[in-house]
Amino acid sequence: MRLSRLGAAVVVATMVAAACSSTPGGSGGAGQKGTLKLGVTLPLSGGAAADGQPTLKGAKLAVDEANAKGGIGGYKLELMPLDHAVNGKYNEQQAAQDMQTFVADAAVIGVVGPYNSAVGKVQIPISNDAGLVQCSPANTNEGLTKPEFGALNLRKNHPDRINYIRVATTDDIQGPAMAVYGFNTLKLKNVLIIDDVTTFGKGVADNFEKKWKELGGTVVDRVGAGADTTDFNGIITAAKPKNPDGVYYGGVVTSGAGLLLKQLRQQGLTIPFMGPDGIVNGNGDAEGSLIKVAGAQNAANSYGTIAAIGDFPAKKDFDAAFSEHFKGDSDFKTPGAYSGPAYACATVVLKSLEEFLKTNASADQKAIREGVRAYASDPSHSFDTVLGKTSFDKNGDNTQKFISFYVTDPAAPNNGDWVFKEQQDFGGS
Amino acid sequence: MSEIREIERPVPAGRNAAGGRDLRSRIGEIRERAHAFSSRHRSTSVVIGLSLVAAILPLIVLLPPLSGFSSQPVWVNGFTIAGIYVLLALGLNIVVGLSGLLDLGYAAFFAIGSYSFAFAASPFTGVDVPFWPMLLIGAVLAAVFGILLGAPTLRLRGDYLAIVTLGFGEIVPIVFLNSSTYTEGPNGIGGISPPSLPSIAFTSADPWPWYITMIVLIAVSMIFIYRLQDSRLGRAWMAIREDELAAASNGVNTVTTKLLAFALGASTAGLAGVFSASKLTLVSPNLFRFDVSFTVLAMVVLGGMGNIWGVAVGAFVIFMIQNVVLKQLNILFDNIYVPILSDIDFLQYQFLLYGIALVAMMLLRPEGLFPNRRRRRELHADESTLGELGDPMGATPQ
Amino acid sequence: MATTAVTTARAPFERVSRRSTPYVFVVGLALAVFALIGPAQFINALTIGAIYALVALGYTMVYGIIELINFAHGDVFMVGAFVSMFTLTTILGDGSFSLGVGPTVALIIVAFAGTMAVMGVLGVLIERFAYRPLRNAPRLAPLITAIGVSFILQNAVQIVYGPSPINTPQLIPPTARIEIGSISIGLINVFVIGSSVGLMVALRLFVNRTRLGRAMRATAQDREAAQLMGVDINRTIALTFFIGSALAGAAGVVQGFYFGNIQFNLGFQAGLKAFTAAVLGGIGNITGAALGGFVIGFVEVTAAAFGLFVWGQALVFAVLIITLIFRPSGLLGQQLGERA
Repeated sequence: MRLSRLGAAVVVATMVAAACSSTPGGSGGAGQKGTLKLGVTLPLSGGAAADGQPTLKGAKLAVDEANAKGGIGGYKLELMPLDHAVNGKYNEQQAAQDMQTFVADAAVIGVVGPYNSAVGKVQIPISNDAGLVQCSPANTNEGLTKPEFGALNLRKNHPDRINYIRVATTDDIQGPAMAVYGFNTLKLKNVLIIDDVTTFGKGVADNFEKKWKELGGTVVDRVGAGADTTDFNGIITAAKPKNPDGVYYGGVVTSGAGLLLKQLRQQGLTIPFMGPDGIVNGNGDAEGSLIKVAGAQNAANSYGTIAAIGDFPAKKDFDAAFSEHFKGDSDFKTPGAYSGPAYACATVVLKSLEEFLKTNASADQKAIREGVRAYASDPSHSFDTVLGKTSFDKNGDNTQKFISFYVTDPAAPNNGDWVFKEQQDFGGS
Repeated sequence: MSEIREIERPVPAGRNAAGGRDLRSRIGEIRERAHAFSSRHRSTSVVIGLSLVAAILPLIVLLPPLSGFSSQPVWVNGFTIAGIYVLLALGLNIVVGLSGLLDLGYAAFFAIGSYSFAFAASPFTGVDVPFWPMLLIGAVLAAVFGILLGAPTLRLRGDYLAIVTLGFGEIVPIVFLNSSTYTEGPNGIGGISPPSLPSIAFTSADPWPWYITMIVLIAVSMIFIYRLQDSRLGRAWMAIREDELAAASNGVNTVTTKLLAFALGASTAGLAGVFSASKLTLVSPNLFRFDVSFTVLAMVVLGGMGNIWGVAVGAFVIFMIQNVVLKQLNILFDNIYVPILSDIDFLQYQFLLYGIALVAMMLLRPEGLFPNRRRRRELHADESTLGELGDPMGATPQ
Repeated sequence: MATTAVTTARAPFERVSRRSTPYVFVVGLALAVFALIGPAQFINALTIGAIYALVALGYTMVYGIIELINFAHGDVFMVGAFVSMFTLTTILGDGSFSLGVGPTVALIIVAFAGTMAVMGVLGVLIERFAYRPLRNAPRLAPLITAIGVSFILQNAVQIVYGPSPINTPQLIPPTARIEIGSISIGLINVFVIGSSVGLMVALRLFVNRTRLGRAMRATAQDREAAQLMGVDINRTIALTFFIGSALAGAAGVVQGFYFGNIQFNLGFQAGLKAFTAAVLGGIGNITGAALGGFVIGFVEVTAAAFGLFVWGQALVFAVLIITLIFRPSGLLGQQLGERA
């Protein structure tokens, strides 16, 4: 029975090891007052790592910077990332368990994440019941915050308590923004729309299409191509005879944006390629960036939107700080599409903590958690982040409705890069 | 090849080969007695066994090594989720373990159960059917789908059956994903209602009502499946697993037997689906991909195909490995410093470790943790003496 | 397998059944597709179908000989693509690809030969260490092991190369076209289809005309009898894995050239489609697997042409299920009766 002996040895080893481990909930470490934790819930392994890891690092940068300054209010900050990817893809069940873990750990005063809107639907009921603030850098589905889209179902027990805030704008801003740009500025008329059949991709493509038709443009084809798609040739060949003069892709690069762009160019279509912030994810040397996957020459004539103020000193500083901080890592050394927003989310939570501790220096962990939530979700407070001046409305949505437009420049250093073109304010629309 | 050795005289219970009594033989005797008791009083032993398990598990996690990882409510919550997989494994065990029908698309039935509750109890449809009757309805619906999806496979043999079930397992989530108007597509249907009992509240904060409900569901399923296994139907399943032609020649109606295998196997997935939808408050096509089907299959194989308690344990073990241990490795090695291991980001190695674990488990013990005795004899025939079911040519190639 | 008295109807490496219905079906399907979607899409379908067919060959060969669904096969294909990429980038460095015809052809041959050899060895190693010990185990044990191996291969590649798509050198410019009269076909398409068909024909010749091929067919048909006739079973099975994996490696090379992009999770989808192709054609039958690959290519591209791209995968399985309803042993599988 070799197996049982081996098993017994493993169990004993684990027990010994774990007995030496510290218990959660404040290890009385370096800070005078102990440690508080910032939870991060993202899909971090397998294929989803290309989405989750750069985002995680944005939050990590914020925490590391705070610790370098001596912590906040005497507390040391600790990042607590939990991976809810199972078999390489985000898993709502695991995400629910992770949120339970965060809620049960009293030292956790806020959570950054999640990345996918469906996960948000699962986690908000749990974090809302516990009053734990949760800031998402990337969720775009309206149903997570707006009562008219069903958000109250997610906070049935405490409908007036807002704990979920997000820095990403909802789908109904980015999609129409690019539609307006494509129609008025780029003067396109017939467009091929492809989405990756995810909450984000389909949502933003639907909104693009609606606006496009309102403006008077025509849609050559509207195709859904699941996130696993690698071969877009059939779609492109089918669309070619209909003479599209532009392509809009609703989705992120891990769903195939780079492959689509490359195959478009290979089939001879050099028409403008447009997409949301998921495709503006770094220069030609950055791992997993649109420009790298498609190739710098192929990526020419591509346009993307970012839900933030562009050409803004803080953004350049952030990019530099990020690259410097993570230059020793084996992968993902440069910011991805959502690193900035994650950094912003972490900034919001940490700033809320700081402000709360200024007036309640001796609060216990439970009070801190509630205080952070109250401060962050208060519509009258605003935060200076890398996305600009950020504040949240009564539903938890970002009030900042600036959209920046970026275009690819193959001749830029690092094998091509995204270059800021202009920005517009969609507030009030 | 195996030598023909002298057939040994049978050893009486409670004594060792030399005729004396020692600890080992006494334990052996106790095991024999327990085994005899449980085969005659199945339902009671299931209830007793599960109650013990249900009571011990939450207590173990209060002890030092395990309490360091998470608090008790988080552990208990994890066990409840493991219970969902136990239900799935129990059902697949009927199809694969008892009846020998290789089903690679079992997640489809899980999806049916979940979505049926989503349609019955969420703001999306506006209807609010209570949880408890829906359990039954979900199970029946899944069973009906079991028959529907099983019907085309009746004429198929072996691995053709596998690929067709795999196909169904792929088609069902694709249908749910692309029919946005009816199923909310990739967003999933959220806001699903929890169960309601007069004085007990099912919330996300309190894991105990969920835990107890799950234990009860597992107990009911196990009792039901044991009854089936011991019945004519169960024997018919095992007959078609061993030799379909001989079974048919003996009057077993292979068509109804197979369809019932699919139907009853799917019914526990329906139960699990309704429970999962309610607990998670969400269903989405993402939860029912091929890797779910495969994970449940691995649980059945690891547990020992055909053995009901075995697959339950197998399900629990694999769930713990995949969803708890592998995810916690980083935290473990952050807390205790080991020279090389603490620098590795284990999240990126999850797949690798899991794959190695699977390969190792199969190489070490291909018959599973708790195989039925026949299999073990077949696999290790050259190691043992010639028993009464022995085979002159040695291990029969399986 | 002691338990199936009813055989899995298989035509392991034998001459295809005389009935021509399946061929007529496939040719008819091809013509219908051509008429429906036009020549450009038809070429797309043939190209992607050729890649699926190459991968399906390995599946069907391994199944024919040891009745194992080798779920790791798709990942062997993926590793092959990476090996090819590695070989080419090492040789070419960062240089441009304005090489003459001669050096290009030489490089292509090097890529093929090197990748196929390495993949063949990998396949043999996998068989030796992960499958052979389980040859007498319950049928499902090697299935689980196969997926374990699949996970290991995927994660190993991901650790080395990261999770994002990697660019591969496309020695044949994707925009180059061949003009024959009024018809214009992409050079890359010709390359893909040509090399796949060439390899398939070579395989067919090997299996039908050589001693080793005969040994493979014999082992697939009746292992004990083959052993009695002096065939070394272990060597033959190892050879089967070598050839099957080499073909998967070749498919990986072709994939790199055609798409210019490879990713660590390429194997799962490809493996699934290849497996479907193998079953569609009658598992164990080489020609069937090739036909199955093309049929799947047709179905997918037709779905895309009619705006049903998202339903492509579902349609492929629907076609499979319907085919199996009418021909339970696949297109070219032999209709063997129930055998005692």
